[in-house]
Amino acid sequence: MKLYSLSVLYKGATKANLLKAAYDLSSFSFFQRSSVQEFMTFTSALIVERTSQGTRASVKEQEYLCHVYVRNDNLGAVVIADTEYPQRVCFTLLDKVLEEFSRQVDSIDWPSGNPETINYKSLDIHLSKYQNPREADAMTKVQAELDETKIILHNTMESLLERGEKLDDLVAKSEHLGNQSKAFYKTARKQNSCCEIM
Amino acid sequence: MAESGEEVDVLVQRVVKDLTNAFKKNPNIDEIGVIPCPEARYNRSPIVLVENKLGIESWCVKFLLPYVHNKLLLYRQRKHWLDREALVDITCTLLLLNPDFTTAWNVRKELLECGVLNLEKDLYLGKLALTKFPKSPETWIHRRWVLQQILNQFSAVGCSRKQQHHQGEAEQADAERIQQHSDQLARTLHQEMKVCSDAACRYPSNYNAWSHRIWVLQHMAKGNVKVFHDELSSMRLWVSMHVSDHSGFHYRQFLLKELITEFFQTPASTTTSSPQHHFSTIPRSSPHHHNDVQANGDLSGAEATDGEDKLLSFITVLQLFRQEMELCSDLIQAFPGHETLWSHRRHVFHLWHHLKREHQHHCSSNDCIESVHPNDSDPGLLGDDDQSCPGQGETVNGQSHTSEAMEVDGASLTDLHNSKRQKRGILRPGPLTLFSEHNFIKSILENCSNPEQRHFAMAYKKWLDVVVGQQP
Repeated sequence: MKLYSLSVLYKGATKANLLKAAYDLSSFSFFQRSSVQEFMTFTSALIVERTSQGTRASVKEQEYLCHVYVRNDNLGAVVIADTEYPQRVCFTLLDKVLEEFSRQVDSIDWPSGNPETINYKSLDIHLSKYQNPREADAMTKVQAELDETKIILHNTMESLLERGEKLDDLVAKSEHLGNQSKAFYKTARKQNSCCEIM
Repeated sequence: MAESGEEVDVLVQRVVKDLTNAFKKNPNIDEIGVIPCPEARYNRSPIVLVENKLGIESWCVKFLLPYVHNKLLLYRQRKHWLDREALVDITCTLLLLNPDFTTAWNVRKELLECGVLNLEKDLYLGKLALTKFPKSPETWIHRRWVLQQILNQFSAVGCSRKQQHHQGEAEQADAERIQQHSDQLARTLHQEMKVCSDAACRYPSNYNAWSHRIWVLQHMAKGNVKVFHDELSSMRLWVSMHVSDHSGFHYRQFLLKELITEFFQTPASTTTSSPQHHFSTIPRSSPHHHNDVQANGDLSGAEATDGEDKLLSFITVLQLFRQEMELCSDLIQAFPGHETLWSHRRHVFHLWHHLKREHQHHCSSNDCIESVHPNDSDPGLLGDDDQSCPGQGETVNGQSHTSEAMEVDGASLTDLHNSKRQKRGILRPGPLTLFSEHNFIKSILENCSNPEQRHFAMAYKKWLDVVVGQQP
């Protein structure tokens, strides 16, 4: 049961804009961490871009589940967890973070903000506190408030994409992914399809 | 990148040397990994050292691995001579890239046997290989071989001590040496547990790691109840954070079974009163201790105390099972819809059910089971308990046999449970009977809308009815 990343983004007209993010990548091997982090940022932005206002969704990608909530005011948050982590708790966390963020950061700063300029410091604390879902909020409290049937479930990232769009192309085109991350993505792909040496 | 044979030769030799130097430069390297990097950067070593982490750039692996692989095979076929130092370096490089290459481990076994390598170094190499390949069967197998060598060394020391037993002066020096060895053994044990935990965290359902852990306990902590207890409690958090990974629960099942065996082999009066202090932390390699104590007990010849001991053992074990079931209920309620938790519940109940029947059988003459039961169930439930569980009728009647001492013991047990329950604000019955299980299922079915959870609850109910309920 693990949370890997928690990020707040602004959903612009065409692109999502990362405002603040926290990561816990201790379970990844040391030399993969930077690439994994870039990919989590990339994925979070992509998911917010493809999620319409006022919806909650969970996207399954390999052994990860990305939970997203984009509010009507275009402020969105994504938490990336493993499949074991209770979905309900993730959405509780997202609600809480967005509510807190919009109280602390003026909405004028949302469209143009970036992690350096935005002054909101509690993401890391939330991420580490919620690692153990039972030490976080009373899990049962919010249960009733959240209608789980309204959460959209995507079984792959691909289902978020438009017709003719390919994840590989998006990765290759991305400005936010470094060369090492792109190489990492290629090896990971290859390993999924057939057994290469190493 | 068309490199000629000679160039590859030079390159590989440089990389092997860089790798060896990295280990010399930093003896605290604690993780290895491959850095994705398709092209060589000009004039830079592919070996990177950052904060105790050793990385190998991926481009060089395709040159490095076949080369060292062939070199070692040629050596094995006696077509190519390598001196010992070269062998150490080559096997190290090879195993960090491909730890399932048995021949390389075997070469190292030979090097260990002729004293070129030391055992700790090989444990260290294995530990590093496991950070990149946490399942690697050959690495675990070699690790057990090394540990067995260490154990053999210890038992050799033990033997020499026995021979010198009557030479007075030598005794104290020996005692010190024994103490040193047992400290070292305790350290090794601790280190192995850490290696297993890390590997289990790196790869889900890593049964290779858990099997190794079981082997280590069986060989290095045999009969050491404290270690088993500590394992059981320290693994609570792990399983709570990995509720869909059956491997951790399987390990708990092993621990429970071992503890049952221990409690029924050892006089309970000692184990129950202070399981923490009775057994020293020095693992015993043979069960002699038990036999001695038991023999003494037999000499004092009180058959009545034997029955009492059994009863105390039974209560201690009962407490273990209650705690396990409580953990299980707690996790099932907190994390609905994980089959692993239900199958663990099945297993624990099955174990308990068999134990109870066996115990009933053994103690039928001594009223053992009867006197336990009043404490086992909440008083209000006793009547129903009786009706729903055939074969337990006598238990209620046995209430009158309860000795006063037992009541005290039982009361403290119940108190412990009550305080726990109050702390968490959950009121759940402690007893472990068919009836209590059916009650648990009922409460799940009433309160949970998760379809998978309901499905597992129904399946468990069916299993109880068909498998457990049908047994005489």
